[in-house]
Amino acid sequence: MIAVATNATMLIATPRRLPTVLLFGVAVLSVIVVVAVIGIWLTPYDPTAFAVRSRLLPPSTAHPFGTDEFGRDVLSRVLAGGHLSLAIGFGAMLISLLIGVPLGLLAAFHRGVTEAAIMRTVDLLISLPPVLLGLLILAVTPPSLGKTIIAVGLAYIPILARLSRAVGLGLLREDFVQAAFARGEGALVILWHEILPNAWPPIIVECGLRVTFAILLGSALSFLGLGPQPPSSEWGLMIAESREFLTQAPWVGLAPGLCLSVLLVSVNLVGEGLREWLDPQLTEHSHG
Amino acid sequence: MDEIQTTMHDALSGLHRPLLEIAGLSVAYPTSRGWLRALDDVSLSIPAGAVLGLVGESGSGKSSVVMALLGLLGSSARVRAAHMAFDGQDLLTRAPSLRGRRIGVVFQDTSAVLNPALTVGSQVAEPLLVHRRLRRSEAWSRATELLAEMGIARPAQVMHCYPHQLSGGMKQRVGIATALASEPDLLLLDEPTTALDVTVEAQILDLLDGLRVRHGLSMLLVSHNLAIVDRLCDRVAVLYAGRVTETGAAASVFSRPRHPYTKGLLAALPRPHLAHPGRLSPIAGRLPDLVATDPGCNFRPRCAFAGTGCEQPQALLGHDHQARCHRVGEIARMPWPAEVSHGSPVPFRKRSVVRSEHPEAPLVQATGLSRAFTTGGLLQGLFGKGGRGVLAVDDVSLAIRPGEIVGLVGESGCGKSTLGRLLLRLVPPDAGRLRFDGTDIAARPGLDFRRRAQIVFQNPDTSLNPRQTVGAILRRPLRRFGIARGGAEALEIGRLLELVRLPPGFADRYPHQLSGGEKQRVGIARALATRPDFLVCDETVSALDVSVQAVVLNLLRDLRDELGVAYLFISHDIGVIAHIADRVAVMYQGSLVEEGGVRDVLHPPYHPYTEALLCSVPIIGKRRGPTDELRSTKEADGSATVSGCKFSGRCPRKQGPICDTAPPPWQEVDRGHRIRCHIPLATLNDVPPWLPARLPADAAHG
Amino acid sequence: MAAHLLQRLLGTVGVLFSMSILIFAVVHIVPGNVAYAILGEYATPASVAVLEAKLGLNDPLPLQYWRWFDGMLHGDLGASLVMSRPAGPLIMEALGHSAILAGLSFVLVAASGIALGIYTATHQGRFSDKIATLAQFVFIAIPDFFWAILAVLLFASWLHLLPATGYAPLADAGVLNWAAHLVLPVLVLSCGFVAHVSRLTRSSMIEVLQSRFVLAARAKGFSNRRVLWRHALPNALLPAITILAVDFGLLIGGIVVIETVFAYPGLGRLLVFAIEHHDLPLLQAGMMVVTATYALANLLADLCYAVLNPRIRVGSAAA
Repeated sequence: MIAVATNATMLIATPRRLPTVLLFGVAVLSVIVVVAVIGIWLTPYDPTAFAVRSRLLPPSTAHPFGTDEFGRDVLSRVLAGGHLSLAIGFGAMLISLLIGVPLGLLAAFHRGVTEAAIMRTVDLLISLPPVLLGLLILAVTPPSLGKTIIAVGLAYIPILARLSRAVGLGLLREDFVQAAFARGEGALVILWHEILPNAWPPIIVECGLRVTFAILLGSALSFLGLGPQPPSSEWGLMIAESREFLTQAPWVGLAPGLCLSVLLVSVNLVGEGLREWLDPQLTEHSHG
Repeated sequence: MDEIQTTMHDALSGLHRPLLEIAGLSVAYPTSRGWLRALDDVSLSIPAGAVLGLVGESGSGKSSVVMALLGLLGSSARVRAAHMAFDGQDLLTRAPSLRGRRIGVVFQDTSAVLNPALTVGSQVAEPLLVHRRLRRSEAWSRATELLAEMGIARPAQVMHCYPHQLSGGMKQRVGIATALASEPDLLLLDEPTTALDVTVEAQILDLLDGLRVRHGLSMLLVSHNLAIVDRLCDRVAVLYAGRVTETGAAASVFSRPRHPYTKGLLAALPRPHLAHPGRLSPIAGRLPDLVATDPGCNFRPRCAFAGTGCEQPQALLGHDHQARCHRVGEIARMPWPAEVSHGSPVPFRKRSVVRSEHPEAPLVQATGLSRAFTTGGLLQGLFGKGGRGVLAVDDVSLAIRPGEIVGLVGESGCGKSTLGRLLLRLVPPDAGRLRFDGTDIAARPGLDFRRRAQIVFQNPDTSLNPRQTVGAILRRPLRRFGIARGGAEALEIGRLLELVRLPPGFADRYPHQLSGGEKQRVGIARALATRPDFLVCDETVSALDVSVQAVVLNLLRDLRDELGVAYLFISHDIGVIAHIADRVAVMYQGSLVEEGGVRDVLHPPYHPYTEALLCSVPIIGKRRGPTDELRSTKEADGSATVSGCKFSGRCPRKQGPICDTAPPPWQEVDRGHRIRCHIPLATLNDVPPWLPARLPADAAHG
Repeated sequence: MAAHLLQRLLGTVGVLFSMSILIFAVVHIVPGNVAYAILGEYATPASVAVLEAKLGLNDPLPLQYWRWFDGMLHGDLGASLVMSRPAGPLIMEALGHSAILAGLSFVLVAASGIALGIYTATHQGRFSDKIATLAQFVFIAIPDFFWAILAVLLFASWLHLLPATGYAPLADAGVLNWAAHLVLPVLVLSCGFVAHVSRLTRSSMIEVLQSRFVLAARAKGFSNRRVLWRHALPNALLPAITILAVDFGLLIGGIVVIETVFAYPGLGRLLVFAIEHHDLPLLQAGMMVVTATYALANLLADLCYAVLNPRIRVGSAAA
């Protein structure tokens, strides 16, 4: 194909003005993160203290979110459990990033046996939906926060591996990378100087989306009893525990549920904002 | 007969009113910096039955004219016109009902323009169903007829095919058929042949010419290629940065250009038919800013004839042949000045001297190189094309001497890029040997070879890392090969920029701040940073405008003269090759078919494929003769076999069964000139040269 | 196309085989698991040893694996420890219930997700698109179990419109009752996915609408309706299949949670039950069945994709 000449200056999409979605999302998220992280120290009551005489009290000035079936202050429990969702979300994202991206780039560089081995493993992990993979891993060992983070991270490694392989393959075809090969440069040098600086936008965008899904998956697993165990106040677990008294005391489940929803919506906004900022032309191929 | 009468009747009745009339068309797009004026007060008219060519390089706004006529510019564009009428109807409001029905359009990139999910037949028949209201069966048979008229063999079969199964040339014929299905009065063609090989392009141009004669079709042909505009068009308008700079009869504009820009364009064109082409005359500078437009002549910064009064707004002067320049009279006889060769500004000593004692001994010696196309997957081989073994490069042997420029010419898919990469060991060969300066080069060559053999790429937009500054890009080879360190680096970068005639301040710029030609020069500087002895230029000028192409070609020639670097110059454009190469190798489907000095190859005896290539190249002033049809290639008839000559399926001079069964032998014509063909040399010698020595158009350009 | 499909089929078989090894390995990776699970933490080593011998847990792992795998090939999915019944019929019955739930939800998600995606793509930038986008954000982000809680609160506890839990077999309870038990689970399961599918469909549709051949179709003077239905949509089908295939997997995951909330007797709930009671053979078998179902669904999607994509269906044979 003979390309038509292009002489005019081409404007490349270097980071432009930050979209409002991103700014708004980051603002809300920062507040939540701060509250969640220092939440442990903000609790008006001890989140684990039983007070059987004040069980299942509706929201009031003394207990803004009411109390649960053991008399524990729901607000305190919510504050104490916030950091767990964040830990799962960001922890799992980091695991999938730190393992998945190098694997994917490795597969892109060393096509052939290495690539086949990595991609077949990825296909294997993807053959179970994430919830079920989590179930499988957490079913056979006493669950805890750390194990939940690992399980969720493991479930998302394939997605990041596939993405970075695709990005890597695309970049390896570019002429400026071929020029680096023509200089006899080694794979690591090319990776560092040529590939990574151009690969990070789509990867960052995907990571942003992963946090949302990781928090969703983590809280779902906790809901099923496979996350941090009682007396932890992880929000998914709190919602599960509230089911028994749902009709009598809906606030016990609604409070953590609403907080979880707000957290997820703001994280999602940040993820979408990142996508809009870094490369709006990226097709949204987000897997859950 | 009836058709001609009807056409004439229509033409006569519309004689007093042009079919298409545009006056004062301005189009602007909103950008973050303000309104980008793509078109500024453009006026054109096309009488019924005439063909108007709209010539312009990138950024001229020519595609915006087509989109504006169709009303497809999008809601954000601002379109203003004093008058824009088709057959008396206002296009600004009535375009949606006219397009597709009375105004047809053919786009450049048919691969993108044909719907991949629908069969060819349904796409060609659709306008007939919608606009002509034919029944399905009638539409289908009429569509089949149309395909046959477009020169497609086995049209009934092709109707059931999907676009991805067709070649580029066939897709364009389908595109034209679709546009003509509703029998429009005006056909708009936006770069219709730019994406096609030159032999296919010649066939499409013949087709369009035939349509013009048979149906009296009016056309607006938009192209950057002046030669095809000259071939097809009666009248021509030249567009520069959104303004019409010259308009008139095609013969007149191309032989006696009036506006400096037209003179410059014509001077920058390679003229392969000349015995001694000499230096090309480029147009220096870059396109003006389309946001903050110049109220005066916007060509002023680049004009060789600029003077006082040019800063005033210019009007189109003249009667039939008009130009937007107030100095038209004074400069009438003056051609565009030739570029003076620069001496080497600083001594630029090469680091190593070619070891070989004999100047005749080749620097690069490739023997029997072969490489297959990469196939996909294990099972593909089992079920698919296993046995035939289609090779991208098939047993090619080539020698390049020190300081020599060898041009490698061939059409798309012939394997020339692959051969270039094989010579650099960027791609491992399946067979064959490579010797460089007397030593064998292994499959994974050492650092020394890498330093001495480099590559320059085709696409300026992808050949530079968008995240690195020019300085960082140039620093990489310097660091890798230890050519300069620390403070000496900056000095060396400055020298490299100077070598490719770029200002030293460019070291801090990013690629997106450079024009295509400037990016290409940075790519050349990067390749030369290691002071190589051998450079592969892979379609280095193909993606550039003609005026910029001239700059880069001259630069490459000068660099060879200063530095003694040998080139393998790969191109599909034989005109460009004629200007720069010392020797030429012609490649077809993985094999070399002819090799020799550039003058020898361009004169008889020719290999039939070389002949077809040369015949197909459109040149300003050259008129197609009846014999040209005979000499050009036919559509492949599928008879080419692995064992015989690969060209036999398309060869107009095919001898007979021997061409299919036996591989053709190399025949020595002269020292260094050989042709690979079964036809005896005596017969090949009798062929007349493809071009007279001089054309009337040559007189105008020094 | 034959080569393509054969490749996919072989891939599926490979994945199923590897998955069986993985499931088996994970379940047996912690020694002494099964026996202690049955007998409890305070069991004596002696009774553990007896049970292990009885269950064949002392044999080398590959042998145990082969026994299990071979059994599966012959239709024997092992036996549930807790319920002391063959796992096969249990799982199949649960699968049937889950299939109803999954099937109804999938149809709802596919139909409304794609329709909404196309609508927002064609009305891009307008008010309805912005509202829809906002709704999509919210629905994707809120966890399905929370929706479930809210739905149960609203419809069951407060409005008393629909039953909160359980399942009424069609044969016994009649259509209306059967349907009533399904409404909430199906709705809750679907809402997040409708948002997800419509979002992805929207962006792929926008991409198609901005392509050159759609521009060319408009240049040929066809009406907007014709351009949309005849030119744009056929090209949006292929990405839609990919999107739906991915979301089907997520749907299966969602079913586990939904069945738990609504106490719906499906395969998801069975798996959670197996986990809670450390019924490892049941868990193993159940996981295998889920994997096989998902793999089959993917194969089906691949088949549809191959048939609908001219490049694969017809191949690249030149005309």
